[in-house]
Amino acid sequence: MFGCKRRLGLIEAVESVNLSKVYRNKETVEALKDVTISIRKGELFTLLGPNGAGKTTFLRIISTQLLPTKGEAYVLGYDVLTQPKEVREHIAVVPQDVATYGNFTPWDYSYYFAMLRGMSKYEAKESAEKALKAVEIWNLRHRACETLSGGEKKRAIIALALASNADIFMLDEPTSGLDAVARRSVWAVLREMVEQGKTILLTTHIMEEAEMVSDRLAIMNNGKVIAEGTPEQIKRLARERFRVVVEGSLSSLGIPEDSSRVTKFGSKWIVYLEDEEEALEIVRAALKKGLKAETAPVTLEDVFVKVVGDKQSEH
Amino acid sequence: MNIKIARDILIIATIKSIPDLKRQPLLSLILGLVGALPLFFMTIFGAQISHGLIGAMVGSVSFSGLLAPIQDIAGDRYLKIREMLVAMPVHPFSYAIGLSLASLIISSPALLVFVVLALWLGALTPSSLLWSVIILILCWGTLSSLGFIISTYLQKASLSTVNNLATLLGFALTFLPPVYYPEEILGNLSWMALLFPTSNAVGLIRIYSGLLGASVTMISVRWLILLATMTVCGAATLTKARWRET
Repeated sequence: MFGCKRRLGLIEAVESVNLSKVYRNKETVEALKDVTISIRKGELFTLLGPNGAGKTTFLRIISTQLLPTKGEAYVLGYDVLTQPKEVREHIAVVPQDVATYGNFTPWDYSYYFAMLRGMSKYEAKESAEKALKAVEIWNLRHRACETLSGGEKKRAIIALALASNADIFMLDEPTSGLDAVARRSVWAVLREMVEQGKTILLTTHIMEEAEMVSDRLAIMNNGKVIAEGTPEQIKRLARERFRVVVEGSLSSLGIPEDSSRVTKFGSKWIVYLEDEEEALEIVRAALKKGLKAETAPVTLEDVFVKVVGDKQSEH
Repeated sequence: MNIKIARDILIIATIKSIPDLKRQPLLSLILGLVGALPLFFMTIFGAQISHGLIGAMVGSVSFSGLLAPIQDIAGDRYLKIREMLVAMPVHPFSYAIGLSLASLIISSPALLVFVVLALWLGALTPSSLLWSVIILILCWGTLSSLGFIISTYLQKASLSTVNNLATLLGFALTFLPPVYYPEEILGNLSWMALLFPTSNAVGLIRIYSGLLGASVTMISVRWLILLATMTVCGAATLTKARWRET
């Protein structure tokens, strides 16, 4: 019954139930601990977490590259353990830190990989052209990858995935090592793909990226999912909704510097508050005393640090 | 064989060879020179070049077959082409054969030169050419399988270890046994030539070219050993090599 429902459809593109992975080498490492995640069709879902959180392990299991130790996982209703062939028909994967081969051109990547999907020469040409135009490197298509910039190389790899016409894209830190401009152009491509109805599973440790591109996200740490929801829902997990950044002495404003709501970064103090009016009051008081101060809503990074910190102190 | 598997073999072989040949045509020349180097010394010391040419033919297919899978695991740590292919509707068989075929394509210009020279100098006869091609394919298949078995156990080895071991094995299988020199030199130990797929292949080609005398029984034994080695290595690859990580 359950299996039938999964095959019919419906809203889940990817689903994992108590997925666990233990690496047994010289030492035993529990990389994933009972991860249960549901990714809907047509959304960009991000796995956010520090290095070693288990993001890549999760993605590699879902993309049929790695077998789990325990648990279940499904892609469009197909079991990744027992139906890897069916899963592979529907996904395209960009691994972490993938380098382009110097002698390949962006065209070689997109065209030949599309052919390996079973497309005819004509279909592969059409798909490669569409993908290379989408990532805006069509004019560089016959240049050897060794002559391309970092951002152009990344876009060549994303075009390879795009040319596959897959339903689900699994991208492992696709913007790592890129400058801000190149990163934003990749984000634009990803959002465009979602607009066209594709599902994207993205991993990143860049908070801004997760906040800017995700429809929903899960924060992972030490192999566990510790929070899941839209960026706004995640931000609401922290009691404090506003932050005030003050440059100078905080004690002159009557705020104890050892308060649990206060964090120090160099010469700056960050005060986290629940009430916006209270935040504005501190800014006004600071400005009166000639200190530099500003207030803003908390960022995903603030919440991430808090959530991860709380979970670590629970251990 | 499934049409998709066969088509993918050709696509992977193309991906892994044509861009290299187009942009680095010298690569083919360098690979050819490795096989031709012993011929240079043999000519200087007045040895029979015909033995060496057959050795160079077998040497170039063996070297490329053995080295391709081993060196691929090193390169793939950065390029991750295999990692991407695992998550695609591509059969592992297509990847393995495609990869080995690519190395054969890269070394084919040199191989062609050796074959033409061998025919011209009488080391090969037109009638022995077909047998030679079959023997070369079997030798290439055996060495490729051996390369895949070794690479299975080298997944975690450092890049320098992988490259050093690959080169060492290549030399051990092509330069130590009687590949470039006639097995008769080994005297009572000439039976050792049968133990190595490379020197066994050279021996068979020489028999068909009339350069080495052998009874029908001995020819059968040589064929049996060559086929058995290929079967054992192929079976070991199928059982030991892992497409999906555990």
